[in-house]
Amino acid sequence: MDLFLQALANGVLIGGILACLTIGFQLTFGVLHVIDFAVGGWVMLGGYAGYWALTLLGLDPFISLPLVAVVFALVGRALGPLIYHVRTSRYARPDLMALALTFGIFIFMRGGALWLWSFNSRNVDTAIAGPAIQLGPVALPVLRVVAFAAAAALSLAVFLFLYRTRFGLAVRAVAQSRENAGLMGVDVPRLSAQVYAVYTGLTAGVGVLLATIYSVNPDVGVRYTLFAFFVAVLAGLGSVGGVLVAGLFLGVVESLVAIYVGISYSHLVIFGALYAVLLISPQGILRRGL
Amino acid sequence: MGLTRWLAGVIVVAVLAALPLGLDAYSLRIATGVCMWAGLACAWNIVGGYAGYISFGHSAFFGIGAYATALLMQRGMDWPFFATLPVGLVVAAGVAAVIGAPTMRLRGSYFAIATWAFAEMLLQLVNVLDVTGGPGGLSVPPYLNEHFFYYLMLAAAVIAYLAVWVLVERSRFGFRLRALRDHEPAAEALGIRTTLVKVQAFALSAGIAAVFGGIYAYWVTFIDPMSVMGGEITDQMVVMVLLGGLGTVWGPALGASLLWLTNRMVWSALGDTAIYLPILGVIIVAVVLFLPNGLVSLLPGLGQLRRRGHRLLTGMVRKL
Repeated sequence: MDLFLQALANGVLIGGILACLTIGFQLTFGVLHVIDFAVGGWVMLGGYAGYWALTLLGLDPFISLPLVAVVFALVGRALGPLIYHVRTSRYARPDLMALALTFGIFIFMRGGALWLWSFNSRNVDTAIAGPAIQLGPVALPVLRVVAFAAAAALSLAVFLFLYRTRFGLAVRAVAQSRENAGLMGVDVPRLSAQVYAVYTGLTAGVGVLLATIYSVNPDVGVRYTLFAFFVAVLAGLGSVGGVLVAGLFLGVVESLVAIYVGISYSHLVIFGALYAVLLISPQGILRRGL
Repeated sequence: MGLTRWLAGVIVVAVLAALPLGLDAYSLRIATGVCMWAGLACAWNIVGGYAGYISFGHSAFFGIGAYATALLMQRGMDWPFFATLPVGLVVAAGVAAVIGAPTMRLRGSYFAIATWAFAEMLLQLVNVLDVTGGPGGLSVPPYLNEHFFYYLMLAAAVIAYLAVWVLVERSRFGFRLRALRDHEPAAEALGIRTTLVKVQAFALSAGIAAVFGGIYAYWVTFIDPMSVMGGEITDQMVVMVLLGGLGTVWGPALGASLLWLTNRMVWSALGDTAIYLPILGVIIVAVVLFLPNGLVSLLPGLGQLRRRGHRLLTGMVRKL
């Protein structure tokens, strides 16, 4: 029982971060109608950026996180128009071409990381450490609690931004209907690029958090793309609210499988579940709009 | 019209068949690789190009073929090599038919994610099973004859392209496929059984990929999960077809030759292929942005050239 509670706690702490990771992905799908295969790539590059900030500038990852987010938001702002261009182009299948584009970006990121930094894992150490917090039989590592809190704060910020600002109103309007929002005076191409910037910045920031807990190597991208897809599909593509539940669910499932079945089976189970969910209910289990 | 095409095809095949005469062993291996990738790209193109369903899971079928051959040739089973290829083909086509029926109801990006999840799932499964040797992989009884493998790969590739030419490019089946790619509800309204057609195309594509997997396993004599089921195999197929031209007969061969030669040149120049992956990425991005119809679309003069050649040829035939 104690083991179960511990697994549950670990799962919730990681799940919160995974939920935050998927929010940007969902925003991008909602506004641009693009499934970004490169989502794991942004996580990975964010982790490397955190590593550089630590080794070159001596910045603790929790301090460099906003910096990393801003830098990657700028990169996303530059890349966004390209993706919008392909998605709204006159190609025969713009959705598939956009998917292929992000697939290419992802291969580029992963290949570039392998080429520059090889397979070695890099640890991003932080000053936040210390004895785990004991809650009855459950031990909560301080680092994970802080990372969870940071992810929760980021998610909350995105939600406030979406539901309490004029920009957020425009984002939700475009997600509902691109044409009508455009007629109401929203600059759709510009807004799409901005949403993509929010997404890349947020995702890279989460990458820093994940790099402090696990380490970062060029192959983690595939893993986080899988996680983002899983959470997004379970929540229903484009649904931002659903990811909170789906993210926690994924964290708990992964943690339970790793403890009770074996860690080498966790990817098998998650990929299998993703496949099954897609077949049974492609609209997602927790379908709710933006 | 048909005459010129056949003649051009025969000339290309004759040149390829004569190639080993002028190549050293290393270059011959590269040529074998070109044939293999051309065949794999051709297989992927049936689903990705003609049917318009982007599969990110074709490495699974290549891997099924490779593992079928390797497992059946293990000590104790001792199957002859050529008997293992049909097994791989049938198993892969069967798996494709079984998973195709539900998976191909998903459209566009959903299908891409689902096939990706399926392939990664199979990769993980092969990794944890005992019978496949887990991460340690399997050895196949070695047969070191580069000429044999070159001709085998070439023959398989020629058969694959002929199959696509006969079954897809010039048949009712092919028209149905392209109809559902261009507008699926309309195709359905015309009375095309879209699910059946899609599953047939998927099974055909999977079977071809599996045959190449089987030959590959015998050729390299050692396989492990990453080398025959890794995502990079799918990546290459996708890029080769995109570069050459989606839904064209010769585009995949063109893309495959160019990319595989690049891969090998990078390898021999730098000693590893790490830089090759970012190059692949850049190529995809560039093709999507600037050349959505692939390299084949750069040859608008080809039709004219062919017509002129045809006139010349028929003129000569008439004189004789």
